[in-house]
Amino acid sequence: MRLIAEGAEALIYSGKFLGLEAVVKHRVEKHYRIKSLDVQLRKQRTKVEARVTSAASSVGAMVPRVLMVSTYDIYMTKIAGVRLDEFLKGTEGEKVAAHRTLFSAGSELGILHNADIVHGDYTPANVIVGRGGDAIVIDFGLSEITNSTESKAVDLLLMKRSLNPDQYISFANGYAKSAKEARDIMQRLSAIETRGRYKTRTLITNGDVTA
Amino acid sequence: MAVLGIESSAHTFGVGIIENGKIIANRKRMYKIGKTGMIPVKVAEFHSKNARSVIESAIAEAGISIADIEAIGYTKGPGLGPCLRVGQLSAKTLAVSIGVPLFPVNHGLGHIEVTRQAFHMHDPIALYVSGGNSQILALDEQPFRHYKVYGETLDIGVGNMLDNFARAAGLNPAWGSTVAKVALGGSYIQMPYTVKGMDFAFAGILTHATKALSYTGVSDVAYSLQETSFAMLCEAVERAIMLTGKKELLTCGGVAQSARLKEMLSLMAMEHAVRFVAAPDELNADNGAMIALVAEKMLYSGARPEAPIINQRSRPDSAVVTW
Repeated sequence: MRLIAEGAEALIYSGKFLGLEAVVKHRVEKHYRIKSLDVQLRKQRTKVEARVTSAASSVGAMVPRVLMVSTYDIYMTKIAGVRLDEFLKGTEGEKVAAHRTLFSAGSELGILHNADIVHGDYTPANVIVGRGGDAIVIDFGLSEITNSTESKAVDLLLMKRSLNPDQYISFANGYAKSAKEARDIMQRLSAIETRGRYKTRTLITNGDVTA
Repeated sequence: MAVLGIESSAHTFGVGIIENGKIIANRKRMYKIGKTGMIPVKVAEFHSKNARSVIESAIAEAGISIADIEAIGYTKGPGLGPCLRVGQLSAKTLAVSIGVPLFPVNHGLGHIEVTRQAFHMHDPIALYVSGGNSQILALDEQPFRHYKVYGETLDIGVGNMLDNFARAAGLNPAWGSTVAKVALGGSYIQMPYTVKGMDFAFAGILTHATKALSYTGVSDVAYSLQETSFAMLCEAVERAIMLTGKKELLTCGGVAQSARLKEMLSLMAMEHAVRFVAAPDELNADNGAMIALVAEKMLYSGARPEAPIINQRSRPDSAVVTW
């Protein structure tokens, strides 16, 4: 197994598992927090991530397959591709491809929401652009199973904050196409955005200056 | 030549004077907060009574004459309306009477910039933690140079959370210092832990901790509350570090005086080879010097003074950083 990536809470190793190309996500100990809290968070997130990733897979979303789980480790099938944030940075010349991928990222989120799966950290860093430009969703560590319209709207908000308006339109179109309650959830998103603290943040992302 | 700054967003009426980035005076009077908390008009009344004497004592401390002042800054927000208005009015009066430009300054920006300047930091991530505010910020050039908010509280500030808990536990509310004392020797009980991306929330943990007081010892609750809420902040900051790749971290604001929070941030920063500093306590408390410092930077970088307004919900990310 060799280290291929370092996230804020986990190390990702790559290698063979039962003959398959696999990755292992290992949640590392954080020395800044007390042991009991550290163990509690790492155990709980590993369990939730494995369970929700499997649930997402069973409703047809594009996600890695979970192969095995231990206390702090998840063995998953390896996804070939680049992260959406990196893909968007280098894609000036291939705008059409970028918009197809964003559409796909939106429609994958719709599939998840239809099954009451809220991702919890739906940003371009957690979407992999696979072969053919399809979006594959990873990192369900902060996810939950809930029918809360608010939580679903926050998934949209996180992505919206990371995209420019054109990119967001493609994303939102993909979402509207697949999410059954797209209308309600997008209405809630607008309501969240009018709450004070989000106002300037969203405007800045959109390139408007208010002050 | 010097720049004078007035801070009055909450219980402190502070006046500071800056000369070429150096603090040459920093005076204040603080309203004593009793068990009832801050009643805005009462605090504002206190500020009006003390405004003149604090301004005079700052000028005396700096050893300058009023004619040496080339600009005035004041806190435009966020804060309590009646309190902000006293600072704004004092600043306006002074600026008009001596004929110098007036710069409205965002309070959080003052905390961040004074810390950045004190430690010669170039491009830090800032964890700004006070009573009403808890935000993670860093400089961003798009669409204009400003402190972008990467994460923040979705409900109440960490300081208010600690103060509310302190009151419920019959302790003095003081940015968590009394909670920290009681927490010594406590043991851990599970608390709600809410981090969403780089945002976090404290209302749930406050409710839980307050209820827990009825069936668990105050020491255990205080310990668990402090450990859990600070771990949430650390994790959100850690995510911001990973996302931005920045190599410096500073913390500022009232709660940045907490020894445990500083210890945790420093351990986390070390794991990522990030340089970490915390503002000295006298700058973490609200003060006028930080407002003067930002006003001086605005003046020297040719910023156009904004309309002399107050804005109780002013945000640091709407200010253009011209320096």
